[in-house]
Amino acid sequence: MIGVGKLKQYTNVLEKPLSKGKQEVSLSAFAFLFSELVQYNQTQVDNISELERRLEDAGYAVGARVLELLCHREKGNRRETRLLGILSFVHSTVWKVLFGKVADSLEKGTEHEDEYMISEKEPLVNRFISIPKDMGTFNCGAFVAGIVRGVLDNAGFPAVVTAHFVPVEGQQRPRTTILIKFAEEVLRREARLG
Amino acid sequence: MQFFGGSDISPSPPVTTGSGDNGHMMYIFNRNGVCLLYREWNRPLKTLDAQQDHKLMFGLLFSLKSFTAKMDPTSVEKGNLGVPQLPGQGCSFHSFRTNTYKLSFMESPSGIKIILVTSPKTGDLRESLKYIYNLYVEYVVKNPLYTPGTPISCELFNTTVDQYVKNLA
Amino acid sequence: MDGAAIYSLFIINKSGGLIFYKDYGSTGRMDTNDSLRLASLWHSMHAISQQLSPTVGCSGVELLQADTFDLHCFQSLTGTKFFVVCEPGTQRMEALLKFIYELFADYVLKNPFYEMEMPIRCELFDLNLLQAVQKDRVASLSR
Repeated sequence: MIGVGKLKQYTNVLEKPLSKGKQEVSLSAFAFLFSELVQYNQTQVDNISELERRLEDAGYAVGARVLELLCHREKGNRRETRLLGILSFVHSTVWKVLFGKVADSLEKGTEHEDEYMISEKEPLVNRFISIPKDMGTFNCGAFVAGIVRGVLDNAGFPAVVTAHFVPVEGQQRPRTTILIKFAEEVLRREARLG
Repeated sequence: MQFFGGSDISPSPPVTTGSGDNGHMMYIFNRNGVCLLYREWNRPLKTLDAQQDHKLMFGLLFSLKSFTAKMDPTSVEKGNLGVPQLPGQGCSFHSFRTNTYKLSFMESPSGIKIILVTSPKTGDLRESLKYIYNLYVEYVVKNPLYTPGTPISCELFNTTVDQYVKNLA
Repeated sequence: MDGAAIYSLFIINKSGGLIFYKDYGSTGRMDTNDSLRLASLWHSMHAISQQLSPTVGCSGVELLQADTFDLHCFQSLTGTKFFVVCEPGTQRMEALLKFIYELFADYVLKNPFYEMEMPIRCELFDLNLLQAVQKDRVASLSR
């Protein structure tokens, strides 16, 4: 805000420190905008997997931009080059900036070497969304999956990322798990790096 | 020869502590929907002519009664929606409130409906309506010059009601 | 506060169609037809009650006191009506209705799969509503 606090007057715009920006956005405003995004895409598709793909694409663009921004703002223009490094970057730094908290958990898949999972009890995007019964396992978390894919892909870690509902024992609502399956080349490179 | 209850209206009127301008209007209908009496004390807003206004009021009461009878959450047998209920039959209502007025309603066993419209802050008027019904019995029904089912034009009744409503809380 | 004091909840859209009905233990359940007809009947009576107002600015019935129940009604600015049927004399129903309206705004209107003015089928709305109506929650609503 202009005139609040002890704002120094800079004559040259380039000398100004890079602002962190306002960190808060109205949840309602976001929820309505996201709702419109889903509704618009729904009018453009014939089936659910198509809708999922479109949401993911929308998220991908966000992810690509977020990576650019955060590398500059938080990492001194450096990016993670190791698998675990980029995963924890997504799980904490990206999550914190986008959702105001770190993700609930980051786990390695038990069955496959190339799979990792980021789980969230109640993802922000799903806060107000009830999936109708006739849409089966569709999850609006596809948007978040797209963000994750956008970050990973642009950081040089191509992967297939999908969002799933996973029932939790003793809970009425399932949690959402973002499943990350890295491309073969990523794992090969990782092995080479030791 | 002795007379009982001749001069006193029983029961005696409920205690009133009103400021004097709570009453808006009063309607009395018989069971056929004829408006026997309409008194108006304070009604700045009039959207309809008198006859339509009475019709609308009677229609609203009729609908509300069938609504409450059907809605009644405590009985199993509620009958069909819209089928007229006999006086005293089924679940009825005694008042409703909006932000601008309160309507209190009473129906006698003979189907006489008394409606009092007052300010929204008015309390429970069930006793007051009973008292007005008593006035009706005393001054209208017992008046030999009154033909049942015709509009009421008993001066004594009107002035007593006016006086009573003026003092309602 | 006794949670069983609430008998049922209705939500009516702006043209008088019933979009949500939940029974919490009335005697003699109503069938779908009856609840639909009651909803549209209430919609028209609500409108008539505004016409009969002796003064300007009437926004319709807020409380109906019947022999065996009270009915509290709340109408949003957009014309959606919410009403609860409860035991006579149940307190704090205005607060409950406002809270239900909040739930409606959150879990129904922000849901991309809800079609405006259509019947409400939202799992999250049902879940949160149930919690709100449960007895211990009613007391904590007076915030």
